Amino acid sequence: MTLARTLLLTGTAGLGILCLVPLALFLALPENQALFWIGNILARALIYGIIALSLTFLATYGGFVSLAQMMVAGIAGYVLAMTVQGAVPVIIGGFGYPMAILMALLASVLAGLAVGAIAVRTNDIYLLMITLALAVGFYRFVESNIDLFNGYEGIRNVLGPDILGRRFRDPMVFYTIASGTALLLYLGVLFLVRTPFGLALQGIRDNPRRISALGYNVVLHRIVAFGIAGFIAGCGGVLATIYNIGISPGSIGLGATINLLIMSVVGGLGHPVGAFVGSLIFAIFDTFAASLYDRDRFNSLIGAVFLVIVLISPDGALGLSRRLGRLLRGKPKPGAPPA
Amino acid sequence: MVHALELTDIGRRFGALHAVRNVSLTVPSGQRHAILGPNGAGKTTLFNLVCGDFPPTSGRVVAFGEDMTRRPASHRARIGIGRTYQTSLLFTGLTVIDNLLIAIRGARKGRLSLVPSASNGQDIRDATVLAERVRLAHRAHHEVATLSHGQRRQLELGMALACKPRLLMLDEPAAGLSPAERPELNQMLKDLPGEITLVLIEHDMDVALPISDMVTVMKDGEIVVQETPDRITDNPIVNKIYLGQGHG
Ligand SMILES: Nc1ncnc2c1ncn2[C@@H]1O[C@H](COP(=O)(O)OP(=O)(O)O)[C@@H](O)[C@H]1O
Ligand SMILES: [Mg+2]
Repeated sequence: MTLARTLLLTGTAGLGILCLVPLALFLALPENQALFWIGNILARALIYGIIALSLTFLATYGGFVSLAQMMVAGIAGYVLAMTVQGAVPVIIGGFGYPMAILMALLASVLAGLAVGAIAVRTNDIYLLMITLALAVGFYRFVESNIDLFNGYEGIRNVLGPDILGRRFRDPMVFYTIASGTALLLYLGVLFLVRTPFGLALQGIRDNPRRISALGYNVVLHRIVAFGIAGFIAGCGGVLATIYNIGISPGSIGLGATINLLIMSVVGGLGHPVGAFVGSLIFAIFDTFAASLYDRDRFNSLIGAVFLVIVLISPDGALGLSRRLGRLLRGKPKPGAPPA
Repeated sequence: MVHALELTDIGRRFGALHAVRNVSLTVPSGQRHAILGPNGAGKTTLFNLVCGDFPPTSGRVVAFGEDMTRRPASHRARIGIGRTYQTSLLFTGLTVIDNLLIAIRGARKGRLSLVPSASNGQDIRDATVLAERVRLAHRAHHEVATLSHGQRRQLELGMALACKPRLLMLDEPAAGLSPAERPELNQMLKDLPGEITLVLIEHDMDVALPISDMVTVMKDGEIVVQETPDRITDNPIVNKIYLGQGHG
């Protein structure tokens, strides 16, 4: 199947799902509940799914597990909040949303490139440690530079621009923008990995020694991959900041960083769609478990869910569904010797 | 006429171990050159020095008249040095065609291309031809992880051929092949175009001798004999160090 056809089919299917789900919710639930689902659960799943997509993209195709993606999203969020007109308190201010968002995305790309450059020679557990150190370091930096970032209170009142006369944070408007962004980025990733660059990236994942012997610049490919992941995370960061009406250090701290990793692993790192599967599972648990139990129990619950999924299926919910499907159809495992 | 390869007194130490010492070797263009020797003789290390996996601790590497000694491995792929590895180094998560595509594109510009380039269709045709040439057409769209050992060796050869090499360096291409798979490999080696210079490490004299013009025997990091294949088996030193301990 050609790349164009794959993208067209996936795009149509994705669009279908993204349109049908809210429709089904409106049909099945009273309006205010449907809006709650769309505005609070689906929208959040999409935002954090986008940020998780940046992690999954790097992990699936490059073999790099980066814990700095929440930080990169946070950099976009802070740049937006610091520069945009109307945010409280005024740090820089004065820019309209289009310009502020552009600067935020630029900052996230630069931050991604920087993370890539800093971590360019590290792999596996060392990569995990160095990106974690960056994330924690940035969190401390934000928290302690009160003049720049307004400390633990953060920056509020980032409402987003009006879209066709409706508020950005109107559940249907927000959902439409978030799902459109998510779908475009997802298709972008699928496209990218079939380009010469994307193929080389997978070559680096499988065999860095061979790929450099073949004439590829591994360092450059790695840094560019982190830059692209930075852009993806930045899109999520901008949306998250508008969704949360602002940004504070808490949203980029260690807890947020780990939550993002949990979403990605729960969804499965084998395919980029896992990012959204994981973020949806997480958003559902986060919403309903928190109302059943208190906050601390939620953490143990999501921890338990994480453990169960990872124990049953090392490649997350995606792997789980694939395994079930194979079981039902009675097909052999992939990789098993052909009969 | 410039030689394909000229090694002058190259050596490599790994700590206290002198894996390759004072090796001087000239391979004229178009020659089929076999390198024999017992395990640990330094043959693979010599290849790695030529291909730039690491620099020599002494001496000079010149390929096609250009000093390669300090050049990175990637540069050598671009000037037409293709190699295979003793243990296959393939991209196991990708298909046969994708492996070949990566190898084809490695040798030229536009490798960082974020959009499929104009030559994309041509690349895919080239990769398909290569897959046929190493007799893997029927496995072209299978993941490398599902290939048999013999098929992986064939793909190794295809990857080395992808940069349209002027100098092809094969590290024990027959290693681990079943007796049934060997004739196929021999045929593939015989079918290589005459203008390709071939340097071949081979444990098995029955594979190496019929296709080579010149044979170099190494032991303990040094060249001990250099002879034509018809005279090599009569050489007493060779008989003592190589044939004496059995082979194959
Ligand atoms: N990267 C390395 N680091 C340390 N020692 C090495 C390395 N590569 C090879 N050696 C050592 O160098 C010697 C020659 O190895 P090698 O070139 O692989 O021999 P051959 O290919 O002739 O069997 C061996 O003793 C081996 O252990
Ligand atoms: Mg060897």
